[in-house]
Amino acid sequence: MANPAAADRLRRTLMLLAPVLALLLALLAAEWLTARRALPVVIPAPSAVWADAMKNPAVVTRHLTPTVLKAAAGYAAAAAIALIAAAISSLVLVLRAPIYSLGVGIHSVPLIATTPLLALWLGTGPPTHVLVAALACYFPMLVGAMQGFAAVERNRRELFHMLSASPLQQLRYLVIPSALPYLFAGFKIAAPSAVLGTITAEWAGAELGLGALMLYALGAFDINKVWLAVLMACALSAAAYAFWAGAERLVIYWDSAAELRD
Amino acid sequence: MSLAIDVTNVSMRFDAKGRQVQALEGAALTIPAGRFASIIGPSGCGKSTLLRLVADIMQPSAGSIAVGGAPPRQSRRDHAIGFIFQSPTLLPWRSVRENIELPLDIVGRASARAAKRSPAELIELVGLKGFENALPAQLSGGMQQRVSIARALALQPEVLLLDEPFGALDEITRQRMNLELLRIWAESGTTALLVTHSISEAVFMSDTVHVMSPRPGRITAQLAIDLPRPRALAMMRSRGFFEAVNQVRDALFGRDVAETDGVQSAIETY
Repeated sequence: MANPAAADRLRRTLMLLAPVLALLLALLAAEWLTARRALPVVIPAPSAVWADAMKNPAVVTRHLTPTVLKAAAGYAAAAAIALIAAAISSLVLVLRAPIYSLGVGIHSVPLIATTPLLALWLGTGPPTHVLVAALACYFPMLVGAMQGFAAVERNRRELFHMLSASPLQQLRYLVIPSALPYLFAGFKIAAPSAVLGTITAEWAGAELGLGALMLYALGAFDINKVWLAVLMACALSAAAYAFWAGAERLVIYWDSAAELRD
Repeated sequence: MSLAIDVTNVSMRFDAKGRQVQALEGAALTIPAGRFASIIGPSGCGKSTLLRLVADIMQPSAGSIAVGGAPPRQSRRDHAIGFIFQSPTLLPWRSVRENIELPLDIVGRASARAAKRSPAELIELVGLKGFENALPAQLSGGMQQRVSIARALALQPEVLLLDEPFGALDEITRQRMNLELLRIWAESGTTALLVTHSISEAVFMSDTVHVMSPRPGRITAQLAIDLPRPRALAMMRSRGFFEAVNQVRDALFGRDVAETDGVQSAIETY
C-alpha cells in the first residue's frame, strides 16, 4: 500500500475485527460439524441454542440481569476497598506488607471451597454472591493501585518539591495521572473475575442468575439452556473486560508505555 | 555586586547501607548575581550533590548556603530557584504548553498573572512555536529539554540550576543547545550554575569554572574565563579558549599528569 497511514489504519481495523471474525468462523464451523454429527461430544447447533433463547427471551433477561448487577456491586465494592487500602499502604509504610499479604491470602484461598461456608453463614441470597464477587476480583485491583501509587518517578517528585507543591497538588497533578495506567491494568484484569465469582457463588445456591440457570438446565438435561448460560457468561466476562479496555483508551491518551521504556 | 549563591564550608555525609560516605567536605563557592558559573569534576565527586543542596532538594550535614541572601528553603518556597534535571522530567500527559504552565498552576493563576513572561512568550523564547499542543513523547530529546528550560523560567527565578542538562544528547545537538541556553540566560538575566563533566562545555559557557576533586568532594580551584560575550562557536578555536581548557585540565589532573600525558590531553581537547 502506498500510503503508510492508510495501511496502518487497515491493520488496526483488521486487528479489532479479528476476534469477531474468529467467533463467526467458530460458530459456522460448529453449525456445519453438528449438522454432520462429526464431533465426538454432544454440542448443540448454535442455531438451535439461538432459537431456544428467542422462544422465551424473558429467561435470558431474568437470569442475566441479577448476575450483572451482583457482579457490578461486588466489583465496585472491591475497587473502593482496594483503592483505599492502597492509599493507606502508600501513606503508612508499616501497613504496606500486611495489606499486601492479606490480599495474597484472599487471592490464594480457593473460592469454590469457601463459598459453601459463606452460604451457610450468610444464606444463599444476593449478599453472599456480591461478597464472593468482591473477593474474587479484589487482588488484581489492589496490586494495580499499590503499584500505581508508588509509580511516581523520583525526578518528578523532586520537580514538585522544587515547585513547593502542596500534598493535594501533588496528588492531583502527579500521583493520580502517574497511577492511572496501573489502575486500568488492575481494573481490566479484575473485571472477568467478578463475573466468575458471582457465578461460582450462584452455584452454591441462588434463585436467579446465570449460575442458577446453569444448574437448572443441567438438572433438566436441557443442553441448549446449558450452552445458552455458558455463552452468556463468556459474553459477560468479555464485555466487562472490553468496558475497561475501552475506558483506558479514552482516558490514557498519552504514550504510557514510553514511560516504562525510559 | 550581590551574591546570588554563597556556599560556605559545606559538608555532606550519606548513610549508604550502614556505611558512612563523605560526599562533600568543606566545599565553598560564591557566584555573583547575573553570572554564568559551572562546576566541573569527575563522576562521583559530589557536584550533583552540591547542586541539590543549593536547590534544597537535600540539606547539608554542616556549613551554610545562601541563595539570593536567603536560606535555600526560603528561596525555593519563594520560587527563586529554577532547577533543570539531566532528564527533561516532563509530565507525559501534559502538552508542551501545559508542561510550561505547571509552575503557574501550582502557585495559582492569581499570582501567576504577575509573571512578566507569558507561557506564549516562553514558548517563543525556547523556540517551540508551533509545538504548543504536542505531547512530550512526540518531541526529540533536545526539544523536550527546551520545554523543561521554559518551565524552569516560568516563575522568573533569580537562580537557574542545571544538572548536566544536555548529557543525554548527541554532541551536535548539545553544542546547539548550549548556544541556545546562553542566549536564553542572557535574555532572562538570571544567575546560572551548571554542573557538567565536559571541560570544553564548562569553559565555553562560563564566567567562572569551579573545579571539584572527589572523595571527599571539595572545590579545589576557581578559574575565571576571559572570553568575550556573547560566546560563539568560533571561539572554541581561539588561543584563549585553548589556554582556558588547559588550565581547567591542569586543575583537574595536576600539571604532571597533563604534561607526561601530553598526546592524550591534546586529543581530548578536540
